[in-house]
Amino acid sequence: MAAYLARRVAYAVLTFFGITIVTFTLIHSVPGDPVTFYIGKSGTHGVPPQIVAAIKHEYHLDEPVPKQYLWWLRGIFTLDFGPSVIDHRPAMDRILEVLPNTIALNVIAFALSALLGIPIGLWSASRSGHLFERGSSVIFFLLYSLPSFWVAILLMQFFAVRHQWLPLFGMTSDDYLLMSTAHRIADRIQHMVLPSLALTYAQLAFYARFTKSALTEVIHQDFITTARAKGVSVHAVMWKHALRNALLPLVTLLGLTIPYLLSGSVIIETMFQWDGVGKLYFQSLASRDYPTVLALTVVTAVVTLFASVVSDVLYALADPRVRVEGKR
Amino acid sequence: MKREESNSWRDVWRRFRRSTIAMIALVYVTFVAIVALFAPMIASSKPLILRTPAGIQFPSAHDLLGTKEGIEQLAQGRVVIGAPVPHSPVVVDFAHRLDAPTPLHHFGTDDVGRDVLARLVHGARVSLTVAILAAAIALIVGSFFGAIAGFYGGWIDWIVSRLIEMVLCFPFLFLVLAIVALFGPSMYTIIIALGATTWTNEARYVRGEIMRIRELEFAHAARASGASDVRIIFRHLLPNALAPALVSTNFAVAAAVLTESSLSFLGLGVPLPAPTWGGMLSLAEMYIDSAWWLVLYPGIAIFATVAAFNVVGDRFREALDPRG
Repeated sequence: MAAYLARRVAYAVLTFFGITIVTFTLIHSVPGDPVTFYIGKSGTHGVPPQIVAAIKHEYHLDEPVPKQYLWWLRGIFTLDFGPSVIDHRPAMDRILEVLPNTIALNVIAFALSALLGIPIGLWSASRSGHLFERGSSVIFFLLYSLPSFWVAILLMQFFAVRHQWLPLFGMTSDDYLLMSTAHRIADRIQHMVLPSLALTYAQLAFYARFTKSALTEVIHQDFITTARAKGVSVHAVMWKHALRNALLPLVTLLGLTIPYLLSGSVIIETMFQWDGVGKLYFQSLASRDYPTVLALTVVTAVVTLFASVVSDVLYALADPRVRVEGKR
Repeated sequence: MKREESNSWRDVWRRFRRSTIAMIALVYVTFVAIVALFAPMIASSKPLILRTPAGIQFPSAHDLLGTKEGIEQLAQGRVVIGAPVPHSPVVVDFAHRLDAPTPLHHFGTDDVGRDVLARLVHGARVSLTVAILAAAIALIVGSFFGAIAGFYGGWIDWIVSRLIEMVLCFPFLFLVLAIVALFGPSMYTIIIALGATTWTNEARYVRGEIMRIRELEFAHAARASGASDVRIIFRHLLPNALAPALVSTNFAVAAAVLTESSLSFLGLGVPLPAPTWGGMLSLAEMYIDSAWWLVLYPGIAIFATVAAFNVVGDRFREALDPRG
């Protein structure tokens, strides 16, 4: 086990450097830099060279590229990605400020979609091939194909515009500061309903499909046939034998869903004006705020990498076959 | 060997055909593809067939390779057959702003009086071009990396696996948005961004399949008869390892249509004046309560296309592996 762990961590370290190099190269091969952002697209002529030099110095742009990379790499370890070009505050502060909003939204969406999606997947796997299940799987597939931003528009149209039951967008009402505590909580919850519904919708299909395919794989194995042959009921086989074995890949999947969740957040948060990392990322891209873009990209990739190492190790602990096979 | 392979493809087709829903989806996919291919002839302000003193002309057919809508002068003559949708997707008409569906504009008009149906037809062209080319890049790149990783194993496999792991760590939309936003939105950057981020699925499938079949008899036979590595991989192994990757390509096209429309919706899609389904929806967001046709039709167009590709992919997979 120790050998497996060591190998997995060593691989992850190499992948980590790969991630940083890719991100750094991508951002530096792009036309335009913070200097042009400050001074304008018209170019640097007419601007005192000291100012250009000062800006360049602040972002280490006056140094050779490998050295810039090392500066930036050091920043990853100290979580210091430099000041944002928008308001000059540390990029990391801006991210940490909006992170709880994204987490709140995603936790709700995750809980709702897992609670609904996993039983749906279980149900459809247990009836695989039946007429009713085939029909429902088609409906399911159709739902999976709906663009999330369209669903969001329809939700907005129905709940916020036509019936005005819920606020259209934003995180709080305009008169939020004048409200009593109880009203503030109610106001916050009201603003959360539509964006979390829109996110749930997108993830629900994902979990249900994954549960179904993980279960279908298990169901075709011999021990399930044996259990059924012994006379165990379908219900008991599904919940006790199959689900337990399918749960493992399901749990390990969670690490890899982080990037998926954040992708979804970009569109939904931008649409609902929800101050989360997805919206921040989109705005930072639009304003070429490199420090924030780089920080967000690298932090999410590293968190994902970490989560996938943890889940791989957990998997290996639970399923010795993985460790043995990995050795070869 | 040759005969058996063609037989197995015939079996797959036979099983695929049994599913009604799969056939409906396939017909729809073909329909959208034809609409996309012939969009300039289907929705155009120019007639399909024009009789002039100089002889019969096909004015709208000239636009098939690139629309020059509104610039050129039309020859005088009698219209024999007009375009099925007799409107340009780009010409504005303020007299018919935000018209609800009428016999003149069956799907209504947008905020500057452009015909919604004409824009949908031309939007199919943009969406499918982007999606199919992106999926093709993903298939080619993915097959290449998957094939060499699966065939050689060892350090090559190790490097490819790290590469895949790396790409999967990034939030997909973060990378695509970054490439498109930073290099400037155009059809090419979108195609490259999508291809560069989605090849991992195909690579994994091909790698697995090649590993499974590389020790089979026909592979050894090819080697014994003196075939080079390149020949064994691309001539003997890859054609037999492609099926799962082809299934995945169907899903990749569906996903690319969704992503392309999301990008257009966010304002980072194929730039104006090209009509895109996502761009139409982002406009619709402003007329959410007054012009339902702007919300409904582009949404249905995206949904139906994505669903059709997904269903074809799903039933194709079932036809390949009847057990699973």
